[in-house]
Amino acid sequence: MSKIIGIDLGTTNSEAAYIEAGKPVVIKSVEGQPYFPSVVAFTKTGEMLVGEAAKRQAVTNTEGTVQRIKRKMGTNEKVNLRGKNYTPQQISAFILQKIKKDAEDFLGEKITDAVITVPAYFNDDQRQATKDAGAIAGFNVKRIINEPTAAALAYGLDKEGDQKIAVYDFGGGTLDVTIMEVGGGVFEVLSTSGDTQLGGSDMDRALVDYIAEEFKSRHGVDLRKEPKTLQRVLEAVETAKIELSSTLQTDINLPYIYVVTGEPKHLELKLTRTKLEEIISPIVQRSEKPCRQALQDAKLKPEDIDHVVLVGGVTRMQMVQKKVEEIFKQKPKREVDPMECVAIGAAIQAGVLSGAIEKDIVLLDVTPLTLSIETLGGVATPLIDRNTTVPTKKSKVFSTAADNQTSVEINVLQGERPMAADNKSLGRFHLDGILPAPRGLPQIEVSFDIDVNGIMNVSAKDLGTGKEQSIHITGSTKLSDSEIERMRNEAKEHEEEDKKRKEKIEIRNVADSLVHSTEKALEELKDKFSSDDKQNLEKALKDLREALTGDNTEVIKEKTDALTQAFQKASTAIYQQAAQQYQQQPGQGSSQGESWQGQPTGDDSTINADYKVKGEKKKKNDEDAE
Amino acid sequence: MPTKKPTNTKKNIQESAQHAITKLEEENTQLQKELMEKNDKYLRTLADFQNYQKRMEKELQAQKEDIKKKYLLELLDLTELLKKSYEDPNPKSGLKLLLENLEKFLEKEGITYIDCKGKPFNYQLHNAVSTLEQSDCVDGTILDEIKKGYLLGEKLLRPAHVIVAKKKP
Repeated sequence: MSKIIGIDLGTTNSEAAYIEAGKPVVIKSVEGQPYFPSVVAFTKTGEMLVGEAAKRQAVTNTEGTVQRIKRKMGTNEKVNLRGKNYTPQQISAFILQKIKKDAEDFLGEKITDAVITVPAYFNDDQRQATKDAGAIAGFNVKRIINEPTAAALAYGLDKEGDQKIAVYDFGGGTLDVTIMEVGGGVFEVLSTSGDTQLGGSDMDRALVDYIAEEFKSRHGVDLRKEPKTLQRVLEAVETAKIELSSTLQTDINLPYIYVVTGEPKHLELKLTRTKLEEIISPIVQRSEKPCRQALQDAKLKPEDIDHVVLVGGVTRMQMVQKKVEEIFKQKPKREVDPMECVAIGAAIQAGVLSGAIEKDIVLLDVTPLTLSIETLGGVATPLIDRNTTVPTKKSKVFSTAADNQTSVEINVLQGERPMAADNKSLGRFHLDGILPAPRGLPQIEVSFDIDVNGIMNVSAKDLGTGKEQSIHITGSTKLSDSEIERMRNEAKEHEEEDKKRKEKIEIRNVADSLVHSTEKALEELKDKFSSDDKQNLEKALKDLREALTGDNTEVIKEKTDALTQAFQKASTAIYQQAAQQYQQQPGQGSSQGESWQGQPTGDDSTINADYKVKGEKKKKNDEDAE
Repeated sequence: MPTKKPTNTKKNIQESAQHAITKLEEENTQLQKELMEKNDKYLRTLADFQNYQKRMEKELQAQKEDIKKKYLLELLDLTELLKKSYEDPNPKSGLKLLLENLEKFLEKEGITYIDCKGKPFNYQLHNAVSTLEQSDCVDGTILDEIKKGYLLGEKLLRPAHVIVAKKKP
């Protein structure tokens, strides 16, 4: 089925999004921005421009450019551009066409269906006009939904039973407050209120005024008079607003802002959050009345509201959030980007209509904690990482830790700690009958296969003999939240010490492996080493063995290094000797024997697949019924 | 004679019906098995895809970090040198080299300056901040540059912010 996109057709900017694999993705314009300026223009040469390009040339072409057409939707007013009359529907259609084209570029497929949002206060004429605009643009408009409804959808509030929701939408130019009631997935608008003359640009103006006045009092120059300086101050205000949402004070430094009688002047100003809030306070205060009005019209008290949702760039400011919290007596929701919230909600609605959501909301479990097996030295070696979606299968090849080892124990672990003993053991079993061989040689493939019901089949297979052993573990994905929380916290708490412990073990394992390969080399190449080298090696080997009986990691490390060096020296001598004799002999490198843990073989390739999936049929039927 | 036939036929019908049922049952079992296998395969593919998405997200994050590191390191070097020149009583010659290095770096990254003063306004490269009415000018010519614009390769990195001439009627 083709995709349906969700469009937030805005007054100054429009946004679009769609659902991919169950997740909303915001569509970028050809210009690379996540929004489309709602501006349409015809140039002198008759060329039509929409979006960013139209916005850039707006001031040079006032007679050929139209902005904020949304405010005229549903009226009979015509817009005259370069001698031709256009209805608001037509102008909006140009914007929608641009979105359609860019979305098609972005997605690489044809888009015909859309869900478009409108303000909750739009009447039937205005809604019809929006629908018409969509049709003119070539869209099959699947649904027109309210902007606050879309915002609530973006937060999934339709799924939480009967709720009363307030949406506080404070954008660049307008404030809209909507109170809604949702039940059984249906939204009902209880009241709307707002201020069409209040927005973020008022705040920017107030802040620019403050900075310009400060500079003027010091240097006698008004930075607002020059477009060049005004531009820089505006940009500084934007940065300062963002900075002050996380810090208490910021420096506004604009070097070389102005030249006063041949002398360059810099703007240097400290702006505190308190000062910022003092400046924008009157504007934020003005948003209170519409909120109270909306509550009163809905005949509700702030306590009756279950959720407050923030929409619009201005709501990123802490002071605005605090104000909303004060009015509605609760912390507002703001996890979804307030600029993209409405488009995302529209996309979710579109996803439900197209089946993109239903289809992907086959709820697949994830592994709450990492699943590992215990390897040499009590280390937990992960096979399936935490937060992996199931069903899944992972395999790794391991080997033996000692010569002639005929049995391995598979200890299946769950948890984030690097050491086996600190994790929860889910089960253990033995694989016997491994043919006697030097350590590191046998290949034992361990597979973790978790089915859709969270039942894990752990198998170990000797790739040499084909012998296999397995166990079933139930409930590998089912853990109580508190248990998961506890285990994760524990892992975090012990992170440092665990790391040290693991390092210690690793050093031991390396040393152990080196002892083994040295012994082997001494045995095999006893005639090749010079007596000096042999003595050195034996001494270093003895030292390391001794160190290994103790618990001093530093000493083990030191002795490992010493043995490595002695080994290198001895093997270099052998190779030189060989070279002198013009004889090519197969060498015995010093780095042999580290494969006690085997090499992970990447992902499974040709692995048997005998999953048991009980209750699958029932599940499938449930899906179909939905 | 004819009396016997019907019973025979009845038995035959029963037998063939039983046969058909058995066959259907077998088919049904087979189909159920196949459906189960297909469903499992589908769910595994879906899970694989979700895991792939998670991995890509992580990788993307790592990539972003790498790019950030690269530019931050450049910035650190620049900061150190700027500090030195700030302490230098005659910083001009040092600053000159510093600037040259910086420009070379930008050039290497593919950044070019959009020369715009005196040229006709072009919405693909320029952003008009305001217009200025003049009697002696070519309409639509750029009079002044408020903020420099740059291209990154062929693409627009930032439009030049400009003041455009408007001919007095």
